[in-house]
Amino acid sequence: MDDQLEEELLEVKQYTAGKNNLYQPNTFEELVIQYKKTAEKSNTKIIADTVFYNTEKHQMETGRYLQSAITLNGDRYKVSIIASKVENEEQIKSILKVIILPVLALLIILLLVNRFMIRSLWNPFKQLLINIKAFNVNQDVPFKPVKTSIKEFSDLNSAFIDLSSKVKSDYKEIKLFTENASHEMMTPLAVINSKLDTMLQSHLLGREESELLTDMYKATSRLTKLNQSLLMLVKIDNNLLNDQEDILISRAIEEKILHFQELILKRKLTIHLHLEPTTLYISQQLLEILLNNLFSNAIRHNIDTGSIDINLTATELIFSNTSVNGGLDEVKIFERFYKDTTSEGTGLGLSILKQICNRLQYELKYTYELNLHHFIIRFS
Amino acid sequence: MKILIVEDEESLQKSIHQYLISEGNVCDCASTYNNAYQKIALYAYDCVLLDLTLPDGEGLQLLKFLKKMNKADGVLIISARDAVDQRIEGLSLGADDYLVKPFHLSELYARILAIIRRRQFNGNDRIIFNELEIDSQAMEVKVNAQKVYFTRKEFDLLLYFMSNKSKVISKSAAAVHIWGNEADMADSFDFIYTHIKNIRKKLTDAGCKDYFHSIYGVGYKFVES
Repeated sequence: MDDQLEEELLEVKQYTAGKNNLYQPNTFEELVIQYKKTAEKSNTKIIADTVFYNTEKHQMETGRYLQSAITLNGDRYKVSIIASKVENEEQIKSILKVIILPVLALLIILLLVNRFMIRSLWNPFKQLLINIKAFNVNQDVPFKPVKTSIKEFSDLNSAFIDLSSKVKSDYKEIKLFTENASHEMMTPLAVINSKLDTMLQSHLLGREESELLTDMYKATSRLTKLNQSLLMLVKIDNNLLNDQEDILISRAIEEKILHFQELILKRKLTIHLHLEPTTLYISQQLLEILLNNLFSNAIRHNIDTGSIDINLTATELIFSNTSVNGGLDEVKIFERFYKDTTSEGTGLGLSILKQICNRLQYELKYTYELNLHHFIIRFS
Repeated sequence: MKILIVEDEESLQKSIHQYLISEGNVCDCASTYNNAYQKIALYAYDCVLLDLTLPDGEGLQLLKFLKKMNKADGVLIISARDAVDQRIEGLSLGADDYLVKPFHLSELYARILAIIRRRQFNGNDRIIFNELEIDSQAMEVKVNAQKVYFTRKEFDLLLYFMSNKSKVISKSAAAVHIWGNEADMADSFDFIYTHIKNIRKKLTDAGCKDYFHSIYGVGYKFVES
């Protein structure tokens, strides 16, 4: 900007030297040139900021001015050339527009292209991730490989296929082992049971021996029950119980109450029923086990003179019962062999319940509210 | 009665044998498929106890063989495997009942008797014990020809004890008989006590003698005198 002023000064000097006249700028030049007679002889130049009155726009503007001196016809004149900064700012603005806008546009295009590229590039990876998450050792569906031309991903893919098949076969082996072990244990258990029955017939049986026998019977029946529960888990896992039919759930529940009535009466439990006639397409056996577990749980972990509320609607079944102790861990209670110290059960009842619900794709939830245990099963 | 025990586990076979003999039955034992095959072919039995897994063959093959020979023997399958398919296959091949190991000897004997009753008396199966008479088909109990009302569970229990006359039945066995697999409930043993008490009261009120005898808290015996 200062250069422009210098140039203007030169022009003024040339003009005055050539035409013997004082140069007046054209209006379009947007310059203000003022002349003043002076006695000063020095030729010093001053360049500085100033505020001046723009006669065109009728307002004060900021500007830059250059002060110097010239000689015309032997007179000394002081020349002040003032250039408006506003004009200049506008110029800068337009320059910026011309440069920055395309740059910005370019940047945006670059970003979009990048995004699109990355997305399509990582697509197989994302699909792979979804497939890995969907993979379940418990289900028969094999791991779905993803088709991709990217070497790293196809390597990952094949590594996971190997891994999944290994995990599956190991899991299957463990299940088979559990099943076989449990079956093999049944025969010795049958032997123990029959020997106990034989001993019981002895005429020499006294009070002491009878007490021993009672304990042995209890231990054997517990071991049997444990074994049966393990087998049940394997069976549900293997989807061996698929004798589905339409069953009126409300009636099944009423029948179960009759089955358990002595146990309910003994503990003086009150049963509140709200049963809507609901029919489900379900395996008879699974339903049997499901209800047995819910009932025995609600009866066993109850207080004397407590209550059991059973709510059945078309969408859910809720068992609520009063309890000895407070709420239980909502996640841990469904783990195998998790039980509180007072429980005489196998610790498998609730995990069987959970397994059945998983198998039937029902949602099973436990909550503790208003001093009641709630077991909620949502049919979906 | 003549009963064949097909079971490869020697000690279990021995216990069953002993129990059945003490009830006055005639028993044969077979530990292998071939042995069993010969006995089935040669003799007629009232009931065959059939283990499904034998060292040299499948028990179900023996069942097929029996049916092919048109034998009238009753068949009770005793198996360690509690698979629905196997149960259905066994029963559809003509077995009369299916008992899963482990079982109580009293349960086994009650089932054998039920099979024989069904086969031999064709529905008219009354069990008479002095003044007591029960009809297992109609589920009726009569004392001196007078009907006494029994609940389903009480009736089952009475029939169970009468099938195993003069044998001690443990509370554990009785509980399994009534409640099945749910019998592990903490106080199901007490219920047997309550049920027996009720049965005794109903019978003695109707003028029947008290045949139940408690054995030191471990079980009960249904016996004369």
